[in-house]
Amino acid sequence: MQPQRTPLQVTISVWYALFVREALSRTTADRMAWFWMLVEPAAAVLVFIALRAVFFGNLRHIDGAPTVPWMLVGLFGFNLISNVMLRGIGAMDANKALFSYRQIKPIDPVVVRFYVEALLVTFIFLLFMLVAVALEAPVQVDKPLEAVFMWFILWLLGVGLGLIFSAVASLVPEMGKVIRILSMPLLIISGVIIPLQTLPVSFSDILIWNPIAQAIELLRSEFFANYRTMPQVSINYIVIWVLGTLGLGLLLHLRFERLFKRL
Amino acid sequence: MIKIDKLFKRYHSNGVSPWILNGINMTIPTNTSVGIVGRNGAGKSTLLRLIGGMDQPDRGTITSDSRISWPIGLSGGLQGSMTGRQNVKFVARMHGSKDVNEVARLVEEFAEIGDAFDRPVRSYSSGMRSRLNFGLSLAFDFDVYLSDEATSVGDRLFKEKATKAFRDKVGQASIIMVSHSNDILLDLCQSGIWLSKGEATWFDDIRDAIKAYNDGDK
Repeated sequence: MQPQRTPLQVTISVWYALFVREALSRTTADRMAWFWMLVEPAAAVLVFIALRAVFFGNLRHIDGAPTVPWMLVGLFGFNLISNVMLRGIGAMDANKALFSYRQIKPIDPVVVRFYVEALLVTFIFLLFMLVAVALEAPVQVDKPLEAVFMWFILWLLGVGLGLIFSAVASLVPEMGKVIRILSMPLLIISGVIIPLQTLPVSFSDILIWNPIAQAIELLRSEFFANYRTMPQVSINYIVIWVLGTLGLGLLLHLRFERLFKRL
Repeated sequence: MIKIDKLFKRYHSNGVSPWILNGINMTIPTNTSVGIVGRNGAGKSTLLRLIGGMDQPDRGTITSDSRISWPIGLSGGLQGSMTGRQNVKFVARMHGSKDVNEVARLVEEFAEIGDAFDRPVRSYSSGMRSRLNFGLSLAFDFDVYLSDEATSVGDRLFKEKATKAFRDKVGQASIIMVSHSNDILLDLCQSGIWLSKGEATWFDDIRDAIKAYNDGDK
């Protein structure tokens, strides 16, 4: 009889096996997968610049930060949160055949997707930054350590929201679609394209309650030391959101584990 | 040894259904191959799934110090979008195998499905699926194999091969199987469990279990 593995050993091999599966299916799903991962953000930035030039001709300047890097940081910060929180939806469904193995818990494929998504977005972000440096664009990272830390916090916020959304969407399948639709305007209202502080105060005072907007603003202020965020922006607010969503998400997955396993 | 303690199970899909397993107490000794007999719907597959940890009991516990396989011959457990090889490697990694490619080679050899091994599982016929599934479970050294009519799927040649593979495992490992074929049960099992009306009866001799099933469930 072979010695039994500890629960931690089992979990680590499950995550490793799922990681290989997810990473492969994400990067080789079709032969253009890599191409689009690189071109999509580049195209998005070009569209944003065009939009701003057309609609906000007099707002082209952003105080304390070069415009294009400001957008790049915002866009990738936003991508990190939104990809992580939305990719969790359907993770259980896509792997349910593998739930036959008792080693796999329903939360495992969800967690592994968060990790894969983080690796991909981070890698592509670094690639873009390197290209920008090579092109001698005005890229600056004034507080690198803090920036890495904020990047991690942004990921945690995505993980917390993703845990909740993946559980809710599995309990009520229609909710998956509703969440996707509701998340469409997030790009605009999270201040990725236009700084929230340039909007009328009556708008910006409401929009700044959005934790994603605050997280992106904080990330930017680590990159650009002279950039001034709105006074409401605070790391405490984000951390409370992170802890709250992580707690609720884990609770949901714990409470409905048996239901998810049978899906 | 597998210890089943006050096990209750029912399904909740259509309101509340009657107990399928109604308070089962049983100890299955190490190195004893067991055949489970009973009518359709008596809970044979359910008991097997519970032992394999694929489903949770409503009440009661199953404890074991053995390495138990997943039920062989169950159609689940293969991800349709992945190729046969990817599925095998996935399971090998999950079980912490050191040489994943060696496991893949063994399964490829046993399953004999040719090039299909590198095509997505969703393109497989049910026979090919069961070949892959069977090869997969034989590639790992379990103490107890669970079999749900595994040997009854596939063409005649493969059936013989599968039965032989099962027989070779007797001695190193034991088998808990659900089957309606008396020949296979008598061939591979020593003891038997008869499931009827939510209750389970243990027989040290499989022949007694088959006899009780034939006499009792008329």
